[in-house]
Amino acid sequence: MGRPTTVGSPGKRLLPAIVSISLFLPLLFSGTAPAADVTFSSKTYGLFYQRELAGGVKDRYAPLYEYLSADAANLGGKPLSFHFYGWGRADLAEESGSGRTSGEIGSLYMEYLHPQGNAQAKLGRFFLTEGVAMDTIDGAFAKATSPVGLGVSLYGGVPVEYTILNGAEEGDSLYGGRVFFVKAGFTELGASYLKENGSPGRLDRELYGGDLWVRVASGVELTGQASYNRTAREMASERYAVRIVPGAAVDISAGYEAYTYEGLFRSALNPAFVFPTVDNNDQVRTIFGIVDWEFIPGWTLEVAGKNIRHDKSDPGDANRGEVGLRYSYNAKKDVAGIVAAFVAADRDENEYREYRAFATHSPDKLRLTLDAIAQQYKREPIAGIGKKNAYQVVASAGYQLLAALQLSGDLTYTQSPIFEKDYAGLVRLSYDLGTGTGGKK
Amino acid sequence: MMRRAFAANLLGAVLLALLFGCSAVSKTPSVPPKHPEELPTGRVNCLECHENVSTGALKPYGTFRHSRVFINAHGAYARQGQSLCSSCHAPAFCQTCHAGKEELKPNVKMGDRPDRMAPHRGDYLVAHRIDGRLDPGSCFRCHGNKNDVKCKQCHK
Repeated sequence: MGRPTTVGSPGKRLLPAIVSISLFLPLLFSGTAPAADVTFSSKTYGLFYQRELAGGVKDRYAPLYEYLSADAANLGGKPLSFHFYGWGRADLAEESGSGRTSGEIGSLYMEYLHPQGNAQAKLGRFFLTEGVAMDTIDGAFAKATSPVGLGVSLYGGVPVEYTILNGAEEGDSLYGGRVFFVKAGFTELGASYLKENGSPGRLDRELYGGDLWVRVASGVELTGQASYNRTAREMASERYAVRIVPGAAVDISAGYEAYTYEGLFRSALNPAFVFPTVDNNDQVRTIFGIVDWEFIPGWTLEVAGKNIRHDKSDPGDANRGEVGLRYSYNAKKDVAGIVAAFVAADRDENEYREYRAFATHSPDKLRLTLDAIAQQYKREPIAGIGKKNAYQVVASAGYQLLAALQLSGDLTYTQSPIFEKDYAGLVRLSYDLGTGTGGKK
Repeated sequence: MMRRAFAANLLGAVLLALLFGCSAVSKTPSVPPKHPEELPTGRVNCLECHENVSTGALKPYGTFRHSRVFINAHGAYARQGQSLCSSCHAPAFCQTCHAGKEELKPNVKMGDRPDRMAPHRGDYLVAHRIDGRLDPGSCFRCHGNKNDVKCKQCHK
């Protein structure tokens, strides 16, 4: 069960060391910096919005955000790279979040990518998706595949989590791994394990996972992922799907997905996923299907459907359907689309319809976009407020000032059951600099 | 107790790393760390240039056509390895949505890209009550352990 919170874990104490090492490692290669392939991106967002809440209260906000990312590959002519991503906020008017300033380092790590076998290693803070893991950690990761296709990956460190759940703290350490077998173009099978501990008992997380990708015929593949929560002693989640890709124009998928609240949400650090917000004895079973069909070059039809079944009558079952049409033009630089979606449910308060239309226009260095969305709820979504409709329109205009510098601005108008009137303006300055050839998105 | 477990795990990791040293690594060429050519804007269809099987994910390129199907299921592929993703996408790309305590909604950051499948369009503060009741698992992926204090204004 729980441990005294005054005892710091070795993992927590390692954090400053890991970050420091990661920060200074690139300096080792500073002598050979010209060989490095460097990309740098700065995105500045200046927002201004005024909200008139029900009751006539008006609030004005002006947060200024700066997002920075930097990637340097081929350090010292070696398959080493350095990655950084982070953001910060300062409020110029009323407080818009937790305090007048905020920010975080999303990633900061060194990576070694072996020229063969996709062997790799990471050290620092990074976002990891490997088997049952989908976490950001301060730590290390290594992965290698043998000549016969058997492989292993291992990771360990301190989870980078943020709790807003009273009485629950972030985990102190997280480690795990995955063993897998891969046969090129035919199959990949994996079994994984994850353990997060050091927190009060209910937050301990111990997951066993399995993942599968099999190409059963040309253009036909099966995928599956399952995870078992050993702490909760029940399946956390399962997802199985068949996907048919007969050519470059059609993509069809259908499948089954299920999860239990106790198994999946047991380690949640957000009160939205624990009792009393949700009934932890509930579980969800979903059948889904998606079709993506480019029936004429540039014209794509998207159809998606989902049947959601709950064990509990509240929230009850529901069906969600969606039909969309997209048209891409101007050498794919521009797209226009319309989407209609509905949710039909056992309970009236869960039913709504949604309509959306958007278009972009990019002549030369100019870029203009328009995006409109409307929602119609069957019952008033906010008790006591008679409004059952919401809509939002976003208009954006941008200009490429220099090859690496773009200035754009958005104007947003929203009306909804929560906001009588919501005007928002955004100024966006994007600076993207890259050396060498090739592209990253 | 915990220190011992951590040390044992670290030792195990080092031993395995040695076991899987360079000589035991597959000779298949790794996916390049960066896509060798500039990528067009919009949804990518690898089949426009590539055939057969990718060296990175060892799956057919058709699997990675960025259709609506792939976008919905991209997590399943990423959980089998990120190397092919990172050939075209910088690490910051994932964290546009999968961030720690992100405050700006993806669709606000990408207001000039309505063609992107950015979640939470419109006044999602209202719609999330329904989507969250019906399918909270889809919310959990991003909001379970990586939170914005704005959630706490209502979820106490």
